Amino acid sequence: MRLLQKIRRKSRSAQNRGSSNYAYATARVRAMKSNLLPIDTYPRLMNMGINEITRFIQETQYKQEVDELAREYTGVDLIEHALSTNLANTFSKIIRFTEGELCYLVTEYLRNYDIWNIKTLLRGKYYNAPVDEIKESIVSAGQLNYSFLAGLADMDSYTDVIEGLKNTPYYTVLKEFDGTNLSDIENMLDQMYYSGLFHAIGGLGVSDRRLLSTFIRSEIDIKNIRTLFRLKKYTIEDEEEIPQLILAGGLELKMDDIEKMIPLSTEEFGQALEKYSYWKAISNVVGSDMDSLIALETELTKYSIRSATKFSHAHPLSIAPIMDYIVSKRNEVSNLRIIIRGKASNLNEEVIRNQLVI
Amino acid sequence: MVGEEMMMMDPSGLKAIGAGLAVGLAGIGSGLGEKDIGAAAVGAMTEKEEMFGKGLIMTVIPESIVIFGLVVALLIS
Repeated sequence: MRLLQKIRRKSRSAQNRGSSNYAYATARVRAMKSNLLPIDTYPRLMNMGINEITRFIQETQYKQEVDELAREYTGVDLIEHALSTNLANTFSKIIRFTEGELCYLVTEYLRNYDIWNIKTLLRGKYYNAPVDEIKESIVSAGQLNYSFLAGLADMDSYTDVIEGLKNTPYYTVLKEFDGTNLSDIENMLDQMYYSGLFHAIGGLGVSDRRLLSTFIRSEIDIKNIRTLFRLKKYTIEDEEEIPQLILAGGLELKMDDIEKMIPLSTEEFGQALEKYSYWKAISNVVGSDMDSLIALETELTKYSIRSATKFSHAHPLSIAPIMDYIVSKRNEVSNLRIIIRGKASNLNEEVIRNQLVI
Repeated sequence: MVGEEMMMMDPSGLKAIGAGLAVGLAGIGSGLGEKDIGAAAVGAMTEKEEMFGKGLIMTVIPESIVIFGLVVALLIS
């Protein structure tokens, strides 16, 4: 009877989204992951100059983007644009070659790049950043394409940008922007993304939806831990503001637990975290002398990468390998960006190395 | 009447049906296996051309089931 129900449920979901090509998609994504830069590349890149790094990157999977953009940009800008474009192209490719349920879930997850781009545009326009710099940070891996976003970046002010986004679902939040509440709008966009994502995932009857939900809820936990540490470091104790910064729907850290943690000191907060699985990852770096949160944030990112990889090994024919690849690819691009920006700003090698998540 | 006809059926005919089922079902089984392996092999090859050799070998591994089916069919007949 249970088997029959399971088959019925499966066929219902198949009617909704179509069947997925797990074997093809996961094998392809695994091959793509093996094409990522190996760990020993980063120390070598640290010893290179900007031009050498550009040449090196041109010989890897970023070749096409570097070649295409070399006419328009040079130096750091070229690499930045190439990295953003490659990230967008890669994620769009994943959406293209996945089918049915898998494609639907990946598309919904990648909407976070729409939020990222809208935030970039608003921040850029709000602080009058140069158009080129805004375009550099656009990663059109979501549903809003690059030409549309670049068009918005060319506009004069943030009100024009918001008007330009009138036909998107984000307008309901954006129209609340009055020129003073940028951080509130950003928080609301994040909350909108996650509530939209959980709504899209819907019932957890299908195993892939359950996996994605677990993955996202763990991601929310990590974001909340990061936010709480930042709040404690900068001793922000505004009782009205803090709950807005916390995302609901965590896997281990429920809202009640977080509310209890808000008034704690950094040390007490560290102790309160001991009972959660994240503690193992951060126990080495949490202490009373936390002058900088870089080590903590790096460890948390490492943890999320490690757990995504573990997840993909435990569920080889599911959405997990794709999520694992997305996390690893995002990290590679972020590492390259850190090296390039660090080099361009003549930062000390040690400072750059501490920022890298390897 | 039907029962009498069944009783009169030539045993070699039943053997032939058995042999056919052995090869046919084995073929369907290996086909189902190869479907996913082939898809995965093509997926991996799209990103890494050097996976062609490995992919090809992996794809034909379920083919051995058909050989078992064929052997059984030969033994029956």
